[in-house]
Amino acid sequence: MMGRTGRMMRSRPVARLHELQLLVWVAALSITGYLAVVAAASGRFAWPELVVPAVALAIFGLLHIFLVSIGFRGDQLLLPLAVGLTAIGFVLVERLAPGLLLQQLSWLVIAAGAFCVTILIPRDLSALSRYKYTWALIGLLLLISPLLPVVGREINGARIWVGIRGIAQFEPWELVKIALVIFFAAYLEEHREMLSTPPRRIGPIPVPPVPYLLPIVGMWLVAMLVMVFEKDLGATLLFFGIFLAMLYLATGEPFYVVLGLLLLVGGGFVAYQAFHHVAARIDVWLAPFSSDLRFDTGYQLTQGLFSLANAGLFGAGLGNGMPERIPVVWSDFVFDAFTEEVGFAGALALLALYLVFVYRGMLIALRAPTTFLQLLAAGLSFIIAFQTLVIVGGNAKLIPLTGITLPFVAYGGSSLVTNFMLVGLLLRVSDITARVRG
Amino acid sequence: MEITFAVLLWGVRIAFLVLLYLFLIRAFRTLQRSLAEERVTMAARSVGLAVLVVTQSHAGGPRVGERLPLRAVNSVGRDAGNDVVLNDDAASAKHAVVSFADGEWWLEDAGSTNGTLLNGTRVWERERVHYGDQVQVGRIALRLERVQ
Amino acid sequence: MSRSIAANIRRLTFVIAVAFLLTSIGVGYWSLVAADDLNADPFNPRLIAAVRDRPRGRIVDASGRVLAASVRDADSYRRRYTDRSLAEVVGYASFKYGASGVEAAYQGSLIGQDPSDLVGQWRARYLAVRTEPGSVVIGIDPKIQQAAVTALAGRRGAIVALDPKTGRILASVSLPNYEANLLVDPAQQDTAWDQLNQNKDKPLINRVAQGLYPPGSTMKIITAAAALENGVNPDQKIRVDDPYQADKSWGDYFVRSSSGAHGDFDMSLAFQRSENIYFAKLGLTIGGAKLAEYAKRFGIGRVPALDLPAAKGQLSNSGQLERPTLVADTSYGQGELLTSPLQMALVAGIVGNHGVAVQPHYVTEIRDPNGGVLRTIGGGAADQVIRADTAAKLTALLVAAVEAPGAFAFGARIPGIHVAGKTGTAENPSGLPHGWFVGFAPAEDPQIAVAVIIENAGQGGVDAAPVGGAVMRAALGK
Repeated sequence: MMGRTGRMMRSRPVARLHELQLLVWVAALSITGYLAVVAAASGRFAWPELVVPAVALAIFGLLHIFLVSIGFRGDQLLLPLAVGLTAIGFVLVERLAPGLLLQQLSWLVIAAGAFCVTILIPRDLSALSRYKYTWALIGLLLLISPLLPVVGREINGARIWVGIRGIAQFEPWELVKIALVIFFAAYLEEHREMLSTPPRRIGPIPVPPVPYLLPIVGMWLVAMLVMVFEKDLGATLLFFGIFLAMLYLATGEPFYVVLGLLLLVGGGFVAYQAFHHVAARIDVWLAPFSSDLRFDTGYQLTQGLFSLANAGLFGAGLGNGMPERIPVVWSDFVFDAFTEEVGFAGALALLALYLVFVYRGMLIALRAPTTFLQLLAAGLSFIIAFQTLVIVGGNAKLIPLTGITLPFVAYGGSSLVTNFMLVGLLLRVSDITARVRG
Repeated sequence: MEITFAVLLWGVRIAFLVLLYLFLIRAFRTLQRSLAEERVTMAARSVGLAVLVVTQSHAGGPRVGERLPLRAVNSVGRDAGNDVVLNDDAASAKHAVVSFADGEWWLEDAGSTNGTLLNGTRVWERERVHYGDQVQVGRIALRLERVQ
Repeated sequence: MSRSIAANIRRLTFVIAVAFLLTSIGVGYWSLVAADDLNADPFNPRLIAAVRDRPRGRIVDASGRVLAASVRDADSYRRRYTDRSLAEVVGYASFKYGASGVEAAYQGSLIGQDPSDLVGQWRARYLAVRTEPGSVVIGIDPKIQQAAVTALAGRRGAIVALDPKTGRILASVSLPNYEANLLVDPAQQDTAWDQLNQNKDKPLINRVAQGLYPPGSTMKIITAAAALENGVNPDQKIRVDDPYQADKSWGDYFVRSSSGAHGDFDMSLAFQRSENIYFAKLGLTIGGAKLAEYAKRFGIGRVPALDLPAAKGQLSNSGQLERPTLVADTSYGQGELLTSPLQMALVAGIVGNHGVAVQPHYVTEIRDPNGGVLRTIGGGAADQVIRADTAAKLTALLVAAVEAPGAFAFGARIPGIHVAGKTGTAENPSGLPHGWFVGFAPAEDPQIAVAVIIENAGQGGVDAAPVGGAVMRAALGK
């Protein structure tokens, strides 16, 4: 009698009016931005060229209908935010690299599919925690896959790609971050007691027995290996950042964060001395305008800063700046490009959208019924926050530049697919909360 | 450049920035509204019929001390579709049903693998539950309590 | 359970929110605060796009002579410069090495985006419609400029002449200079750039405003002004016995008279013979604080409000005069003093202009493409630095320093005109002393104030005085 309750609730459609309303705003924003970019480039208002954003909007609409039809009861804010940021991303791809637009559109179809799969499978989200070492293994395999001889690719000096030449390339790192969050959430849920109640304290410093420290040191070692062999500062930073944040969430022990940061800075310092690619990044960060760097390795960053400087309060207007002078602007420097043309005002709005997203994600974490789901949701939200801060900070010369992408907005298939799966997982957690708390 | 075109183009550019802010404001309002709604449901929950308080759990299960609200009829189990979701390997997907009828609370096993215990005794048919009784599902123990 | 996860989530969210705030501030810094510098950076492609495919405005002198103009090259416009003696003033506008001088300081006006033309700037920024650039007029008088070039005769040093009433710079020579045309020639720019940057005589520096030297005896004008306004009677005789020290605490340190003098000096005689010991005693009488105050009033240790880059100079390493020996040395222009020739020309100008300081400027006008005046430069705030009667007394002393029998600055005399002036000989670590002359003429109603420095001159100020005289003569048409 009661056994069918769950399934019946799933199949009964539930109206999602807030979501629908917000999607209408996304449509208006997307069409306007696209129109401005196309008109500025071609010198006339060309309606037929609006096909691409129309298709993208149709996909967004289908996602909404999908959620309504399965009677999904989760949050109504995250999908419009993710979709809105993706729409801005499409405007920027058209502005900066129109040749890549169709490719990005096909990635969006895959991302939408991945989103739906994440919503439907697995039926029991908590089951994820039962296979935690599987996740760890998958994560590790993905992490080292670019180093493998046949499929690994080195692009722009970073060996973080797998793919078959000429067909498709994928950054496995993007998927690793989700696998890692699942693993950490499961692992820390199980061990948080022992990690957060150490037997001895010296002053304010907790001294857990050596075996408990091993995971921290182990993670640090893996992060350092990634930095050395895959030459990717961004992946290293994100990897270690996720780990420290989740360790803190589980234990509430700032000491671990301090220890982790010290290890990171120490490792970074050694790497600065020992490895050319790390030293080069740091030198560029410190003095990109110096005469021997500005036409060399500092060129990209200086062009990005010129772009920011041209922004002013309200920007040069979409299609009216010169952000295309920044090398690889569509994946590395979209934030500067956006700011140049929409101004500091626009940049603030963009950052605020991310903050609302992260805040909503953290609220979902707060309300989640189990420790595993709490850690999962908070970890996933943290990924979005951390990626945004690291790449915007890098674009604005606040921290060294890394290859991390601006979530949803930057061009890139792997990150689009992964981020939509991430949104799917967050929605799942909020759906469970809604059902449990009814 | 034709002047009307330039004016129109600028109109569209400004509209984009304005829409960006309107979208942000809308999103923020939705956030506030959902917060308010959650507060209402929390309040409603505290004046619900009764609660099951988690008295014993394990890592991965609900937190000890957490108060799970009860409606008139509640399915209990591991599956996310249940009214009371208990994340426990030893619990079945559909484990038990807790219901309120004739002014009393009742507990019934829904054909679980490992069984349901009421005050340590396995439940074979529908049993009455008093406030303060212990219900054991898998490794998780719950106590029925009145709402304050 | 030590702490609930909920509290940890809240704390992490708070940290994230703070990080977003800081990041926003960082973005605001680049897009609002640091924007002007970056937008004017010669390597900014936005600026290059605005200039490469179109001619820059012309730079002309007061007589209308073209000093810099754009000529059509293969695929872009290239600058052509006509007067090498103004290389450091006019500067260069290179696509590779950026811009300097007027080319850099008036970049906006030269590319049709004059700061006064807001509509033009908006049209350029928002509609990509650029105003045709006009021309930038500099106040250099070719006749005086030519006289200055001839008088300096290739020696390392600098000459600056300005109108003491308006601050307009009439002549400006800095040697060694450079051939700016090489820096804008794609075939030769790299070699030329390397050579200029390796040259230890620093030809790229505008010595007039950016060269810093000890002022030597020309500083005595400021010491005298401070003394006159603090109750010192110029006619009262002061005993001079070479060598001099105030008391035994100076140890083996002495102030030396350049002529090994023994006798009584009044202020006029001290100026004529440039008597160090007299001025050292004067400085010690009024004290270091007063001397420092007057040095600051005359602009020592401050960046002159010039429209081109200018160096700051210093009163002393600490900015104060705390030791008696430092007070004594500063009083006659040694110690730790450093000033630019422009600064000393301004000092002479203040005396000639009845104690009023004006702001110096190279550029006088910005014109639109049709020759109409878009705006004029100059006429900034004028400060009363010393009292008019003090200025008059100083003028009389400086006229005597040129005209009296046996005066050191005799070389600056002009028949039929009263010239006020002062020589200086600046000891320096780089070899022979530098020779200084500062002055103005006619003394009663000055048309021109000059400063001359000849680096490592054989006879110091005696070499510089005739150079100053020649420049003033050219200005007055004598």
